[in-house]
Amino acid sequence: MNLGQYFAEAIAVLGANRVRSLLTVLGLIIGVTAVIAIQVLGAGTAGAVSGLLGALSDRTFVVLPNQQQADFTRAAIRLSDLQRAKDEVPNVIAAIPAGGQRLLASYGHTHRRITFGAAPDERFATSTPLRFGRKLSEDDIAQSRHVAVVSDKGYEKLHMSGDPTGGSIRIGDRRYTIVGVLGTDKTGILPVNFNLDVSIPYSSYERDFVRGHAIVFARFLMADPSKVEQTEADALHWLRHLKGGRVEYQTFDRKTFSKAVDGIFAGITVVVGLIGAVSLLVAGIGILNIMLVSVAERTREIGLRKAIGATRFQVLLQFFIEALALSGFGCLVGLILGVAIGAFVNNAFIVNFSGVVAPIPWVRSILIATIFTTVVTVAFGTYPAWRAATLDPIEALRYE
Amino acid sequence: MNSARHAIDVQDVTKTYVLGDVRVDALRGVTFTIDSGEYVAIMGPSGSGKSTLMNLLGCLDRPTTGHYLLDGNDVSKLSDDELAAIRLKKLGFVFQGFNLLARTSALKNVALPLFYAGMGTRTRNARASAQLAEVGLGDRMDHKPSELSGGQQQRVAIARALVNDPAVLLADEPTGNLDSQTSEEIMALFEHLNEGGRTIIMVTHDEDVASHAKRVIRVRDGRIVDDQATG
Repeated sequence: MNLGQYFAEAIAVLGANRVRSLLTVLGLIIGVTAVIAIQVLGAGTAGAVSGLLGALSDRTFVVLPNQQQADFTRAAIRLSDLQRAKDEVPNVIAAIPAGGQRLLASYGHTHRRITFGAAPDERFATSTPLRFGRKLSEDDIAQSRHVAVVSDKGYEKLHMSGDPTGGSIRIGDRRYTIVGVLGTDKTGILPVNFNLDVSIPYSSYERDFVRGHAIVFARFLMADPSKVEQTEADALHWLRHLKGGRVEYQTFDRKTFSKAVDGIFAGITVVVGLIGAVSLLVAGIGILNIMLVSVAERTREIGLRKAIGATRFQVLLQFFIEALALSGFGCLVGLILGVAIGAFVNNAFIVNFSGVVAPIPWVRSILIATIFTTVVTVAFGTYPAWRAATLDPIEALRYE
Repeated sequence: MNSARHAIDVQDVTKTYVLGDVRVDALRGVTFTIDSGEYVAIMGPSGSGKSTLMNLLGCLDRPTTGHYLLDGNDVSKLSDDELAAIRLKKLGFVFQGFNLLARTSALKNVALPLFYAGMGTRTRNARASAQLAEVGLGDRMDHKPSELSGGQQQRVAIARALVNDPAVLLADEPTGNLDSQTSEEIMALFEHLNEGGRTIIMVTHDEDVASHAKRVIRVRDGRIVDDQATG
């Protein structure tokens, strides 16, 4: 049995009815394109999110008062509260202000309002790379030094050029020596990091800016990151007890974000799965229809083939392979378009945003296209092929 | 009983169609033999049963009762796929309407039976082109049916019928769609093939055409009414 010959013949037949064949598989192309594009996009987004989360320490979580509550003032976290946290909440080894504020800053002749705030110490560090100089050290924090690290955004806002380390920057009415410039901050889109233009040691921040003021949110450092849920619960319980009951706080950690993103993607996957199933059904019916038309049109041809000795199986195979070639072509085009569109949107938006390039999920995409081809062919191509195979040659030859 | 092997040995064959409550006796007991190398015309008015007889001889249908031995094998009780195998190996068909695949070259049309016989492309093409040359179309192999005249199309169909070297060539009104001059050409080709040893059975209602055959079997009301060699 020469399958290649059957395929060659099927392609010739479909090619002779080019417009009809194309219109028939259009639904399939759209369905497969949509499903695969979303897969590629999903992989890109998942890669971006895990890239971002990877840059985020799993040893910290953030606590902030809920915006909507009766006594917001009472709920405000103060520096004195945080100083007690490490002694009173199990598994917490430090709690620092993570808030920031907008103040006028001057560098050279540039005066701009910037966001600045407390930089976490090494134990809280993110993996944001350095462009110039160094990060803040334990010593800077221990001695509350007047030093600052500028982010890539701050670098632009203050019109810096070259290596500004060693220079000085004025924030409010205080001066800090620039010791380092950060590269692109991949955690920038997450609310745990405040997207600070300029960071100073949290000890300096406490001393120069926080004293007496409320803290927007606080960053807690754990000794054992595996106990994050228990520690968050303990911290909330402790804060409520400290503030006297009717106050509400929320916490954020790496898992919170992963869960939120996972939830969004589970929803998208279900919706796209449904679209895929519907398009599969519609495309399948289209192929069923056109194959029945094709069998009817070629009744005499089928009669002839049987008269010269084609078995039922050989006729069945011919039409089955035609359906397979049709759906295979549609799925192949859908695969290529889906990957192209998915990769394009991914590059245009997600990679641009996160800087993380996730690999295209080829295996999964090809698997989806293959499953679509198989299901459509078997479910909707078998009946017309069977009809052709069981035609009576005498009747078929007489057919006008 | 003569046990010599005939190309075709039809023994008391009947064919009855039941259409709802109506019983149609298309063949009411037909017995004859055709030897290898004969050239036979089957004639009869419409409704005489000649088409039914042709379908039975062509293994497209099975007799209701009786036996049909083709090339020594009883084919009266075979399954559809077994009959297909017999048609593939032992029979060649030529139709009134040529029945060529429209978008396919003459060469590939002729090679089609060899495809179903499971031969490789090279063997198929070699045998098909030799067969086309034999019917005088060696220079038209890559032409599609629409690029050929009626006579040429029928020649392609004849080449297709012969390409698997069948025991019997069956032709159903082979000149029905052709003008008289082209018909003569096709008849000349049949005569040439018969002289080369081919067994040919031809159904026709045209006396002129039938006169080319060496024996004429006349059918009427499902029975053979006359069977004699022509002068």
